[in-house]
Amino acid sequence: MTPSVPSVLSELAGLLMRNAAPGVPDAERASALGLSSMLLAVAAEVWDGAAQNLVQENRALATLLRDTAAEADLRLSALRNENARLRARLIEDHILAEEAGDTERQEAIWAELRASTVRRMLSISPV
Amino acid sequence: MSHPLEPRLARYIASQMPEASDVDVTALERISGGASRETYRFRLTYREGGRAHERKLILRRDPPASLIDTERRVEFAAYRAFHGSAVPVPRMLWLEEADEALDHPFFIAEELSGFQAAPQMLFAGGYDAVLPRVAERKWTILGEIARADPQALGLTSVMQAPALDACWRRELDHWEQIFDTDEAEPQPIARAAIRWLRANPPPPSQKLSVVHGDYRTGNFLYDEQGEIHAVLDWEMAHLGDPLEDLAWGFNPIWQFGRGLEGGLAPREEAIAIWQRASGLTADPVALHWWTLFNCVKGQGIWVGSARAFIDGGNKEPIMVYPAWWLLNAQDRAILKVMGRL
Repeated sequence: MTPSVPSVLSELAGLLMRNAAPGVPDAERASALGLSSMLLAVAAEVWDGAAQNLVQENRALATLLRDTAAEADLRLSALRNENARLRARLIEDHILAEEAGDTERQEAIWAELRASTVRRMLSISPV
Repeated sequence: MSHPLEPRLARYIASQMPEASDVDVTALERISGGASRETYRFRLTYREGGRAHERKLILRRDPPASLIDTERRVEFAAYRAFHGSAVPVPRMLWLEEADEALDHPFFIAEELSGFQAAPQMLFAGGYDAVLPRVAERKWTILGEIARADPQALGLTSVMQAPALDACWRRELDHWEQIFDTDEAEPQPIARAAIRWLRANPPPPSQKLSVVHGDYRTGNFLYDEQGEIHAVLDWEMAHLGDPLEDLAWGFNPIWQFGRGLEGGLAPREEAIAIWQRASGLTADPVALHWWTLFNCVKGQGIWVGSARAFIDGGNKEPIMVYPAWWLLNAQDRAILKVMGRL
């Protein structure tokens, strides 16, 4: 999830505090709280599976790229950094496969990309 | 409790209306929506010609950082160009590009009250009987935008006019640049789509048109009879290939889970309405290119909203929600349009 869940929760905490104070116009308070509640619902949905999905995806990417997924640090921020490193490598690998006309390799990459969108899919996803 | 912007806004409007006296702004409140501009409604009262006047107006002010970085001069000009035409838009009153009056540039327009914009309300059941009418009006108005002559509208002086065979490249270059500067994490699906778009360019545009840039369900005001009273949110307006506008509405995320384009009609029906109104044809190959392009453009917008939050330029929840809700959905839309989902 980008921006990261902790950074958003931290911002929402301040926003809720500001809206708890008197004097905030009703329409602005309603808008702020409505959007905040939707974000909290999304955070709640992804919380339990976030580490599992990142570990699973990093392992799949490492296997596809013949790389080694770093798993010494299981904090979400570390797993996200590792995921970004592997996905950057995947883009390079995809370009090489296209330039080489290696359709089998391209299909394997597309299969992983498709799987990545299933791992990340929210219950409210419109697609 | 009055809003702190009210006296400052009243002073600005008084400076624009030298014949008026007792200029006052009340009931100013921010209204939902508007991730690229802060949008407020307010009541203006004043005396002029010996009579008291009251008007309901809209203030659109630039935020510190936006979901979409655009020139409000272009948006203002687009509204003005179409006012009074077959393309319904609110009447624009004043454009202020300096920061002194309200800290950021802004414009003021007349409010069109009593209508709805939210797709959620349109699709909640109460409007089912008039959805075919909304569809007819939606794509007829878009056809009118496509048919209009940008030069006759005076828009070639505020918008760049690309060559017909360069429309696609200018747009793709622009949005790829957004990824280069704003992406917070690698985007392998969007990057693959961009490579495909460059390798398979569309035919030259059949004409140079005004492109609204965000013409979708949710960006127009409708009533209970299914009539459309105003097309809003012209902040991405530019000149280009009219198929770009038609295809933006075919981005799968704008189906709202209903399996219909814009949640309103099958694609063939939407195209037929647009072709009748515009007098143009929608070449399927070109339309596919522009549909995929618009999926990339959409992803560029969601990537940009995440960046605005991360950099601290705009920490409002509206900047997070599109990124959380749509980044992965947009990736799935790209896969779908590329035939890989």
